[in-house]
Amino acid sequence: MTQFFVIIGVGMCVLVLLCLYRATFGPTILNRAAGISAIGTKTLIILLLMGVIYDRIDMFIDISMVYALLNFIGTVVLAKYLERSGEV
Amino acid sequence: MIQESDDVIVKAVARLLVPFIVVYALYVVMHGHYSPGGGFQGGVILAASFVLLGVSHGLEKTRRRMSEKAARVVSSIGVLLYGGIGALCLILGGNYLDYAKLGKILRVTPAEARSLGILGVEIGVALAVMAVMCTVFFAIFTAEESPEDYRSVE
Repeated sequence: MTQFFVIIGVGMCVLVLLCLYRATFGPTILNRAAGISAIGTKTLIILLLMGVIYDRIDMFIDISMVYALLNFIGTVVLAKYLERSGEV
Repeated sequence: MIQESDDVIVKAVARLLVPFIVVYALYVVMHGHYSPGGGFQGGVILAASFVLLGVSHGLEKTRRRMSEKAARVVSSIGVLLYGGIGALCLILGGNYLDYAKLGKILRVTPAEARSLGILGVEIGVALAVMAVMCTVFFAIFTAEESPEDYRSVE
């Protein structure tokens, strides 16, 4: 069963690389914001998979919830900044 | 100065999410010695709730809940709590932050005194970190105002 989660985790890392491409070379600033937000969501899943693999899910679930909260707040603050600077 | 957001989705989600963020921050502070987290992380999450409130509902409504003056007072109280508990252990004949000595005045066993002492220190750290993070947030988000406005805020 651990092997299954490791394979899922590696697949998630590949997806993170794809999102990183969009965040780096995105044509507009909105593409970059969406890419960064997607990377945060996938990092959360990778953290939970690591928790399952190391059998410490009760520890990792706290970290992943904080990560989800800060990811949301970061996206909102970025959107507010773009709204004020008039780039969008 | 950040104006109130006119987007109903952002405002509704922030109104729903802020209480849960505060409760989760208190959980992180209280369970700091069993699970990841502790005073600093709990304080940062508490400050994140104020940042979300400021971004979604404007700085005026945030100042009504946590003004710059209140942030300064709360950060001082947090540092006082940390240093006070440490100094109290010194007065009772132990090392700095040697919580086991607190059992003499709390009338509990040394193990319980250690648990309570580290909880008190973590609450102090959380208050200080939360207030300083709010101060940094206010300083960054009011930087565009004219210097006179900025001074009047202080």
